Amino acid sequence: MSSRGIGNRRREAAGAACNDLAPKHDIPMLRRMKAFGLSWFTILTLTLSAFADEKVRVSSFSTILTEIAEQVGGDRVTVTGHVKPGVDPHDFEPKPGDLKTVGSAQVILLSAKHMEGYVGKLKESTGTKGALIEVGDRFASLKMKADDGHGHDHGGKGELVEDPHWWHSLASMNKAVKVVRDALSKAAPASAPAFTDNAARYLAKLDALQKWTRTELAKLPRDRRKLVTSHDAFQYFAKENGFTVYAIEGLSTADQPSSKKVAEIIATIKAQSVKAIFAEKIENPKVLTEITRETGAKLGGQLHADGLGEGEAATYEGMYRHNVSTIVNALK
Amino acid sequence: MRGSPLLRALLAFLAILSLAWPLRRLTTASEAPLERPETVVAEAEEIGLQLTFTLVPKSVKVRHLDREIWSETAPAAAMERSLKLPYPDEGIDLQFQIEWPGGASAPLAAMRATLTDPAGDAHEKSVWGQGGVDAVLTFP
Repeated sequence: MSSRGIGNRRREAAGAACNDLAPKHDIPMLRRMKAFGLSWFTILTLTLSAFADEKVRVSSFSTILTEIAEQVGGDRVTVTGHVKPGVDPHDFEPKPGDLKTVGSAQVILLSAKHMEGYVGKLKESTGTKGALIEVGDRFASLKMKADDGHGHDHGGKGELVEDPHWWHSLASMNKAVKVVRDALSKAAPASAPAFTDNAARYLAKLDALQKWTRTELAKLPRDRRKLVTSHDAFQYFAKENGFTVYAIEGLSTADQPSSKKVAEIIATIKAQSVKAIFAEKIENPKVLTEITRETGAKLGGQLHADGLGEGEAATYEGMYRHNVSTIVNALK
Repeated sequence: MRGSPLLRALLAFLAILSLAWPLRRLTTASEAPLERPETVVAEAEEIGLQLTFTLVPKSVKVRHLDREIWSETAPAAAMERSLKLPYPDEGIDLQFQIEWPGGASAPLAAMRATLTDPAGDAHEKSVWGQGGVDAVLTFP
């Protein structure tokens, strides 16, 4: 064996040793780098998609606004309705759990016009960074004299107060949809075109509801449009549709009628030949029963005064149609 | 107080008994059912209704209180009719169902309704539609 041959073999052996060593060191390194890169890519993708898919967190303190937010927001919002269907908003007080949810909400929807007496508490205790939208304050109010000092922030006796039941006006509903659409678009500008499309669809439904209402109410003579209800929640509806309201109680469900007021109502029903009087879903119709006994007017059925309820009243359209049909059938 | 305790008890009982009837009348509702309030229906009066169209329609129907009061299958560009309807102070709603030729591709057309009330005052309302319209107009 020549020395050259030995040297070559040594070099080959050394090279082979080196080759054996190199892959053992480089492959895990490459793998680690690849894994590192892949992880970053995954994290980046997930983060970006999370931002893209992140839903706008909405807290709503009105069953009506909950529906509007759900309809306008579609699958791009998560709506927490704090006031549940059938719950009297005049009596509602937020609980600690509600305040916690509000604290992380991006958009907080309030019915306003003094319906939520706890609005100050909401602002103070949540320290919310979300946009607090007092929807009802964005359009004109009907003002009326408060009967007494009871109820939520509805003012003292004789004082002019804002009527908070704006959702019984389809024109106000129209404006409320636009307010919610704009608030959501501001919170998530990327989703604004979707919010605009959804709002347009919902507004078209309201337009159809308005046409149906006009046709339905045309069956009822205008001189019979006298609405005797338990609490004074239908002034917006009355103004839009040519009714006169004689409410037994005040603006709030907490208001109680005086015997003088009941006597006045009885005299009015007799003088105006009112055929029927109406109770409400969340009211005790005891006083109404007494009035029917005194006047001979019948109980025309129950109306939904303070927001959405169960069954057919689970949607705004269902609630509104129920109220209109009940009134027309009882008074015509 | 003098007198027999038995007599005094009897007098007290009679006094209470004499209050029984008025008390019963005050505390119980009348058993006789009250008459339902009579619905006062406004008397039918003569009113004039004049319809003018920008495009002659195929058909026109006018309804009042869910009842057809005027129907034309070959209407003209302007029509007039005298109707007898109750016309209360609060006014009336009239429903107009108009069909124009051309269907959905028809041009935008309008109808002007002029109602002359029993006092002789004229009230004008308009409605627009494409192909047809079903609308309620309130007078005055």
